[in-house]
Amino acid sequence: MMIRDLQVPWPRYALISELAYRLFDVHPQFGKTALQKLIYLLQEVYGVDCGYDYRLYTYGPFSSQVLLDLDLVESVGGVSVNPVRAGLDGYKITPNENGGLVREQAGSFIDDISEELQSLIEDYGAYSAKELEMRATIVFVERELNRENGELSAEGLVKVVHDIKPYFSDMEIKSVVKQLNGKEHIKVTG
Amino acid sequence: MAAPFEIRDPIHGFIELDEWERDIVNHPVFQRLRRIRQLGLTDMVYPGATHTRFEHSLGVMHVATRMFDAIVDRRSDFLRATYKYNDAGLKRDRRILRFAALLHDVGHAPFSHTGEDLMPEIESGKRYMHEQYSSAIVAGLMKDVIESHPHNRCHGIKAQEIADFLDERPTGFQSETMSAGRHLFWKGLVSGQLDADRADYLLRDSHHVGVAYGKYDLDRLLNTLTVDENSQLGSPSLAVEEGGWHAVEGLIIARYMMFTQVYFHRVRRAYDRHIVGSMRALLEESGGFFPPPTDEKNLKEYLNWEDWRVLGSLDEGREDGAIILNRGHDRCVFETPESPGFDDGQLLEAIRKELGNRISFVDAAERSWYRFDKSEILILLNPRHSDEKSRNLSQLSSVVKGLRAVNQHRVYVPLADRDRCQETVDQIRKDWGKDDD
Repeated sequence: MMIRDLQVPWPRYALISELAYRLFDVHPQFGKTALQKLIYLLQEVYGVDCGYDYRLYTYGPFSSQVLLDLDLVESVGGVSVNPVRAGLDGYKITPNENGGLVREQAGSFIDDISEELQSLIEDYGAYSAKELEMRATIVFVERELNRENGELSAEGLVKVVHDIKPYFSDMEIKSVVKQLNGKEHIKVTG
Repeated sequence: MAAPFEIRDPIHGFIELDEWERDIVNHPVFQRLRRIRQLGLTDMVYPGATHTRFEHSLGVMHVATRMFDAIVDRRSDFLRATYKYNDAGLKRDRRILRFAALLHDVGHAPFSHTGEDLMPEIESGKRYMHEQYSSAIVAGLMKDVIESHPHNRCHGIKAQEIADFLDERPTGFQSETMSAGRHLFWKGLVSGQLDADRADYLLRDSHHVGVAYGKYDLDRLLNTLTVDENSQLGSPSLAVEEGGWHAVEGLIIARYMMFTQVYFHRVRRAYDRHIVGSMRALLEESGGFFPPPTDEKNLKEYLNWEDWRVLGSLDEGREDGAIILNRGHDRCVFETPESPGFDDGQLLEAIRKELGNRISFVDAAERSWYRFDKSEILILLNPRHSDEKSRNLSQLSSVVKGLRAVNQHRVYVPLADRDRCQETVDQIRKDWGKDDD
């Protein structure tokens, strides 16, 4: 594959294009926040190493590289990024004419992770940006606290997430923590 | 209280320090920053670019403090309600933020970001970054000057709290004394989409380089900096009131211009490559890499490396050292547009194949430390009204919307082979019908 030799990260570009394609009929509005959080979850929950380094901000796990890549995929016609209601409601990322070509450049990458992508979409594909924001933050905090301290209680996790995301209620966070723990996407006690 | 010390700064006028901060500035670890150039060997293109991380660090502390004060002045009620602040808490966190901003770059390698290519791998494909060196240095070698100072009796600040602010890796988002929410909120002023680091270096680099590209309206930006309480995100975020919209546009355009005209200048990038080659030769005994920031001995050894030592040893830097001494850098014989399409990628590949091992290196904008992307900065519309709402600047501004991330690629060859390679490239371009681009 010719351009791949130049170390252009085609697998990352192909992933963005593939998500736009698969979420077209599934996600209420597949925009920039949803893209950020879904890729984060794909890496952390489903173990697909996409090469993105995420850091935690008040607005949840974020990688500026994802935004950069989205812009580049858009510029080669792999996706379209259009404002919704003249930009008042964010963006919608949709497939574009060169999407197939972008995916082709990544060789077998998309086929290799097809199962994980399917699980991601089944588990998280229909959530709004706000719902994904909370889920990604919970997963991030859980990973870090477990890495540092070992055993983590659900109560301890809810407390930290609420401190970062004060506009989500304890009840809301608790319910999602329980759901994610049940799916074994996070590991907490109690 | 004793009168503050003042340092005259070319960008911000007088920067004030108290005794505690002065002692930190006088620490050898901080003084080393006088010998780390802000922009590596950019002076090979722009001779004025010899400023250092020392003055930038003072500038970041100054701007971060102004940002903090602007937010506290404007949104004190919010901070007290959301993060349960009282006056003492605000004072303490202001102090921590100043230290973090001041010390954020103490872990830089010689020639700043350029030297980062020689940091060892943590795991396959991932290298240490200067932020991790900064964090380890502050928590270890600077612990005493931070914690044992008499002024700390009423604050009880731990060096680790400051170190946690600096580490760009995910750990350390909360400490014993600062909650995760407070920590992440203020950390955004040291490293985030709208941070004091960027706010300072654009103005400073522009001033020293001698260009106007990095200038924007910092005062207006500070005058409109605020907090977005958008429940959609579930958390408060830094934002700029509608009145500062064009100041933020100015900042983003400044980033784009500085990237294309200075940070990703084709000659500067060649010298990045040559200085890395020289340092790698000097580091031969340790496998071509700096020691990892894993213990005190390594950190001390690492800090012995600075620009003066490297520049004084260029004649031991083999071929790359000689190239720098003679200004005989590799030459760019082909570059793609800033936002290449598929055709451009294919042409690049054809040229690369034809030139083969005559190529020194292929550079990509994406791999630059200062790469240009479109930051998502929130603008608060109708601030302080019942219909207050925030939107990303890129949704509101046709100027920002029109900017594209830069993903230019360039092909470099040795100076001695430039003419022959250029002929080959010109012929390929002609064959591809691209000779008039």
